[in-house]
Amino acid sequence: MNKKALASDPRLIYVLLVLVIVVPILSHAVLPVPATAPTRAVYDFIENLPLNSLVVVSLDYSTSTVPELQPQATIVIQHLFLRALKVLFVAQWTDGPALTDAVLDAIDKENKAYGTDYATLGYIPNTATLIGMTADIQSFFPVDTRGNPTKNLPIIQEFPAAREAALVITFVAGEPGLSLYLQYWQSRLNMPVAAGSVAALAPGYMPFYNSGQVVGILISIRAAAEYEFIEHAQYSQVPIGLSGAASAMVSQSTSHLLIVVMIIVGNVAYLVNRRKKEAAK
Amino acid sequence: MTSKEKQKMTKAEIILQVIIFSLGFFYAFVYYVRVPGVALQSAADQLFTYLTSILTAAFAIGIINLTRVHANNVKNRRPIWKYSLILLVSMYFMAVASVIASPFSLDPQSSVIPGAVYAVFFPIWQFLYYDILVSINATLFSLLAFFIASAAYRAFKARSLETSILLAAGLLVMIGQAPISNSVWPGFGDVRDWIMAFPNTAGQRGILIGTALGILAFSVRRLIRYPWGR
Repeated sequence: MNKKALASDPRLIYVLLVLVIVVPILSHAVLPVPATAPTRAVYDFIENLPLNSLVVVSLDYSTSTVPELQPQATIVIQHLFLRALKVLFVAQWTDGPALTDAVLDAIDKENKAYGTDYATLGYIPNTATLIGMTADIQSFFPVDTRGNPTKNLPIIQEFPAAREAALVITFVAGEPGLSLYLQYWQSRLNMPVAAGSVAALAPGYMPFYNSGQVVGILISIRAAAEYEFIEHAQYSQVPIGLSGAASAMVSQSTSHLLIVVMIIVGNVAYLVNRRKKEAAK
Repeated sequence: MTSKEKQKMTKAEIILQVIIFSLGFFYAFVYYVRVPGVALQSAADQLFTYLTSILTAAFAIGIINLTRVHANNVKNRRPIWKYSLILLVSMYFMAVASVIASPFSLDPQSSVIPGAVYAVFFPIWQFLYYDILVSINATLFSLLAFFIASAAYRAFKARSLETSILLAAGLLVMIGQAPISNSVWPGFGDVRDWIMAFPNTAGQRGILIGTALGILAFSVRRLIRYPWGR
């Protein structure tokens, strides 16, 4: 293989990328990450919620985006459980209920009781349910994911309608997701909405953050690491590494820098070739 | 409008068109206008419930169709029959396991299905879902990183002024998003935040408003006249 063919061989890039991702992960190095304003906004909003407020958490992603969104969900839900808040879990994606159970298994539930302090309502099958539950949860969720009649759950007796929630936070990897909460919960009922988003979707959500329709946005796994450091500073019992995001920051840095270097190298090669072609003319 | 589209609508098409217009207009009306004392919203919610029923029926048709196609592959020993067999076994086994023991269970409190059956199926479902499905899907999604890296190296070139601006913005956001950039120069984070807050928001708003107007125009066109098979 000649030099030029080797330089353009994608396998070379793949090998380099594997190295810059795997080596830092195996080294277990942790890199402190300063919090960005959208992340800080979510944390501060939750931290300042009045005691015993209701928070609706919606896991709107599938198994493919677990590496990016599950750390966000884990660290934010841990924060909710550290505070005296009531939490209802729903999901607009079919995988949501199973991923909710996985998050609940991963966190310290701080002696919160199922049914009283939190409950998993399960999958929201359609927009009618999303709208209807704002007025009456029992009619649209007669039973929770564990088969309990919701009318018997103390949390539902205390908060029979989702419109009483002080915050809805959606971890979102596409549609249905944030837009439905903005259309039906935020714009109609003026409910505060926060989002945890995959990096690819975040630029599209920024207008809603800048307009104040979304109180804060967690962008990619980096935001989970930022959140983890803020939370650890306030609640020392939350270990760094709970969500797995903090230990991914070194490999995220190295992989981003590799791609930046590759782009610069590619452009230098392109400009040199262009000049050569122009000189040959 | 082409000459074909100008053909007269049949009686059945007119009836269907009236139904489409009425339902579409009703739903838009309920969204934008609130009439005190009239429960229009619950009627609109009921429409959505019917939509869900129709979609569920369509899903069932999909499963039947998938089963027929792949069962025929297996029956006729077509070249890919082994993959068809794997698909059928995986699909139906996962469906049965999910119905018996999972957060999607039809009988989570073992009122009908014996607890012993639940105890057998739950670890199997957990293994299949969390250890197999999550891992496979996450791996496939993560492979995108390799394609993005390769594509960025090949295609992200400063060919003109516009592409140079895009390139510079992309690089600065990427550097700012890398957690280590803060150690190099804290200003990278501010530059990234500025790009995301101003140029990005301006562009995204333009796209959002343009898309919304397009959807509105398309919806009005559909409500007024659906091009039935023409």
